[in-house]
Formats: sequence, C-alpha cells, structure tokens
Amino acid sequence: MLTVALPKGELLKNSIRLLQSVGLDFSAFLDSGNRQLQITDASGTAKGLLVRGQDVPVYVEYGQAQIGIIGYDVLREKQPQVAHLVDLQFGYCRMSVAVKASSPYKSPLDLPAHSRVASKYVNSAREFFQGLDLPVEIVPLYGSVELGPITGMSEAIVDIVSTGRTLKENGLVEITTLYESTARLIAHPLSYRLNTGNLHQLVEQLREGALTKV
Amino acid sequence: MVYQPAAGARDLLPLDVAQKRWIEDKLQQVFHRWGYHRIITSTLERMDTLMAGEAIQRQMVIQLQNSEDEELGLRPELTASIARAVVTRMANLRHPQRLYYNANVFRRIWENRHNRQQEFYQAGVELLGVGGLLANAEVLLLAGNCLTALGLQDWHLILGEAGITRSLLDAFPINLRAKVRSAIAHLDRITIDTLPLTDELRERARIMLDLRGNSADVLQKVSSLNLDAEQQEAVNNLKSLVELLESGGKFPIILDLSLIQTIDYYTGLVFEIVNNTDSQARVLGRGGRYDQLLGLYHPQGENIPGIGFVLNIEDLYQVLLSTQQLPQETPASDWLVVPENPAAHSAAFAYAQKLRESPDLVRVELDLGSTDRATIKQYARDRSIAQIAWIKADGSPIIEKVSQ
Repeated sequence: MLTVALPKGELLKNSIRLLQSVGLDFSAFLDSGNRQLQITDASGTAKGLLVRGQDVPVYVEYGQAQIGIIGYDVLREKQPQVAHLVDLQFGYCRMSVAVKASSPYKSPLDLPAHSRVASKYVNSAREFFQGLDLPVEIVPLYGSVELGPITGMSEAIVDIVSTGRTLKENGLVEITTLYESTARLIAHPLSYRLNTGNLHQLVEQLREGALTKV
Repeated sequence: MVYQPAAGARDLLPLDVAQKRWIEDKLQQVFHRWGYHRIITSTLERMDTLMAGEAIQRQMVIQLQNSEDEELGLRPELTASIARAVVTRMANLRHPQRLYYNANVFRRIWENRHNRQQEFYQAGVELLGVGGLLANAEVLLLAGNCLTALGLQDWHLILGEAGITRSLLDAFPINLRAKVRSAIAHLDRITIDTLPLTDELRERARIMLDLRGNSADVLQKVSSLNLDAEQQEAVNNLKSLVELLESGGKFPIILDLSLIQTIDYYTGLVFEIVNNTDSQARVLGRGGRYDQLLGLYHPQGENIPGIGFVLNIEDLYQVLLSTQQLPQETPASDWLVVPENPAAHSAAFAYAQKLRESPDLVRVELDLGSTDRATIKQYARDRSIAQIAWIKADGSPIIEKVSQ
C-alpha cells in the first residue's frame, strides 16, 4: 500500500483536495475533532500520514512514505535526497529579507558587516549572505521571527512571506526576495524507480490534477 | 564514568557475530564456487589513493595523520585499494583476475545526522582485465546467486548503462548538460520542466528521466531517440546482455537508463541491487563497470577493464532479520565436562580434549568448580548443553544426558 506524507498547516487543505481529485480521500484529517495521525483512505488503496511540514521530506527520504507534499522552501532549506516531481502551483510564498520599516537599510548590501540576521531558515539565510560575500551572524529562531528586529536582537530577518500582513503589522518591510516557493510533490527515489504500488501512474494523475487547477 | 563506543561505532556481541558470519559464509561460498579469490587490503590508505577515482570526496573520509605528515584515511570502500594493489603488486599476473573481499569500511557523516553509523561491513567482488558481454553477465548472475543463496525473495536488479545515458546527454547544449544530467540522476523533474530548453530537448530529457521499466519497453523507447550507429550498437549490446540474463529463468531486472551518477566513475553498466518488501524499499548493494579507473593507478596509465559490486552486510542483515533465517542464539556446547573432585582435574582436561579431537566440530566446555550437582545440571539445561561427562579421579567418565 502506498503511503502519502501530508503537511499540517497551510498546505493541508489544497493537498487533500488534490488527492481527492485522483480518488484518494484523506479529508478526515481536516475534521477539527480528528486526533489521528495515520488514516487509510476509504478505497483502501493508500495511507496518509499527518506530519509537521518539516518532517514530510524526512518520512519520504527514509521511504516510510513513498510520496509527500511540501513547500519548496522546506526542500531548499533541508536538501533531502528525494525526487522532485511536480510543481503543484498552490501554496505560493516567498523567502525574503525584511528589516524594520524605520531602519535605513534599503537592500541587504546596506546591512553593516557582522550584523545579526534572525531566521528559522538558517541554511537559506547563510547561503544567501555568503553569495553576497557579506559576513553576518545567523541567529536561529523557531518562530515569531519578527521579534528579532523589534526587540533589537537582530538587524534583519530571513523568513517566509505570503501576504505580507504579518510584516506590516509588526512594522517590518521586505527589502529583497531570495526565492519563491510553491508546494511540490516529492517521492522516495528508490520507490519511484521500482514503481512501487504503481506509483508512477499516481504521480502522472496528480500532475494532471495539478495542471487542471486545484 | 561510563566508557562508550565512539559516536557512530558499535560493538558486535557473540550473537551479532554469529548472525553476521552466517551471512558472510553464504556469500563466501558463492564467491568460491564462481572461482573468486579473497584479497585483503589495508584499512588505512593514503588520501590521494582513495580520492583518485573522484567518487570519494575528502569530507566522506575519516582522516588520520602519521608521523611523516602523510595524509591518510580509513577506507570508505574497497575498489580503490584493490585497483591500487592490482596494478602494482599483481601487474604480472594473467587476466582475468577474480577477486572478492569481505571487510569493514568507514564513512564520515558530515551531514546533520545524529550518531549515524560510521563503520560498515561490506562484501563484494571485482572482475578485472576483461570487458564485454560474458564478463558483464558473469558479475550480474553472480550477484543474483548471492541473493538466492541468502534466501531472499523480493529483490530486483535496477540496471542502467552509463555509457548510453551519457551519450544521450550529448544532444543537450554544453552549458546545460551538467544540469540536465544532475536532474536526471536525482529524478528532479521540476528542474527539467523549468530549464531553458527547446520543446524537443525538454521532451527528450523527460523521456530520459523515465526511461525505466521492463526491458522490452525500455529498449523500444530508447530506440525512438534517434540513435547514431555507436549508440545503436551499445543498445544492442545491452539487449544481448538482458536476453542472456533472462534466458536462464527468472532474473528480476528493471532496466533504468536514468540510473547515472553526476561523475564519470562508471563507464558502462551501472546497477543497484534492491529489496522491495511491502513496508520498505532498500538498496542492498551496487556496482558497475569502471574501465577507466585502473588506468588512474597504473604507473604507465594503462587501462584495464573492471566490473564489480558490493553488498552491504548491515542492509542484508536488516532484511534477513525479518525472515527468521538468521541464527537466533549462539551455538550451544555439546558437552559439559565436570571433574568430580580436585584429583580429577587433570583427567577432566584430558577427557575434554579427547572429545574435541573428533573430526566433526564438537564444542566442549569444562565446569570451573561448581559445588553441587544440582547447580551443574541446571547450568547445562540453561545453556542447552546436551551431555554432561562426570569425571572421576581415575579418569573414568559417567555420561549423563541432559533432558532439555
């Protein structure tokens, strides 16, 4: 039986809708009363795992799930050894550098050398500033990154922006975008090569489903 | 304080050893039956030897330094060492050379993998000095024989041909070729979809990324890619090989021309030996043909063809563990020899030795001074020892069967 790793949070609804379009029903995960982390779809052909977004590529890389849906931002940050198969188009967001609106910094290069940059995405942040040849100290945080500049701990942040509302309400502005992100269909490479449970056909159906808009 | 093994290292206790030996003995018997000879190379190698083939990068090696400041490393695999030894020490021997190894290797884990294993055990073969259809078929059939000897059912051979795949990549503009190759190697369809390619080339890349399945379909699909004469010949050779392998009965091949690495280590066949059970697909071993590698080690740069594969003992162990075939306990002793009093010590050693000298393996242990018969009998029952020999001072034994 195929196993699909699904991310809690923003991407869940669209992911479930896409899977429904190819006949796999995991909508029970959307039930507010649901506490189950693993359910079998009604047709009995696939199992769904409900995991934290960051953990989707982990289950897929180790082969416990043959496919998964997760944002490109997580793939870019964690570089898991998984097959990137379909850009599912939904879940758009961008990885941006933001600073206090009142600060004099208009571009990342305006940041003084050795300033502090707070981020949940330490690898993306490090890679970006190394590319600029600008030495900065990356401060790893696990949430509410906006507080970095507000409290004065850091000059800037690197974080996911989707509408920009959170930044605005906290008095921050984007000064550059590192990359844009959408949801991706990923697969365990060996299972894909072996075509476990006719995986290839399912992937092609999902590709069709994503093209015809979710 | 508690002394622990180094991070990523482990100890093998007697039962672990019995299980590992069970696997290795089966493999060794197969290697011997195919006329392969064991080679033992040094655990330590110079870094330049390890890295010459470009398949090994510095950060994968656990490095050491000796007093001459030579850069040394613990071998992460055996092929480099064997290539080095063969072109120098065995240069005057006639080809083919059929060699096998069974050894530990070390890999430095530099990624953020907490406490991941660093010492591994591998068994494998190298067939050196001969290229061509029969040598290729021999090594693949030998790999299949290893798996059947271990009683594995759900294995597959994912078979590619790096030479063909590489030449199919020549159609791509030189500035994008490495990207297309890397995308195909990593099954990254999204990159293929977004690279600035013409429609025709994008379609070619998509076909290449999914160029796998049963051999007839794949061979037909690859023939649709406008092959030149040389490519057609290579495809024909691959076809002959597949036919030869499948002629002897069931040989579970998945032909996969997307199976390629991002470096030119393998020059022809490249394959993965995988196990696929319901819950888990796992690579058990891998191999391929490397006709340029030995030339890197040869003093005159002479190329000697080679093909080989490696099986990972730990991965085999994980799969076999669920099949109940591995020994579940260490072998019990056949005899417990008990001197009845201090005057019988010498006679007990002598009697035990006489039992040990049987032509078949007989395991004999001596009681080391227990005080009463009930304890001794209980010990024998606990250890599944079949017989107790009670030795009197005059050397005469009384033999007692232990009811288990």
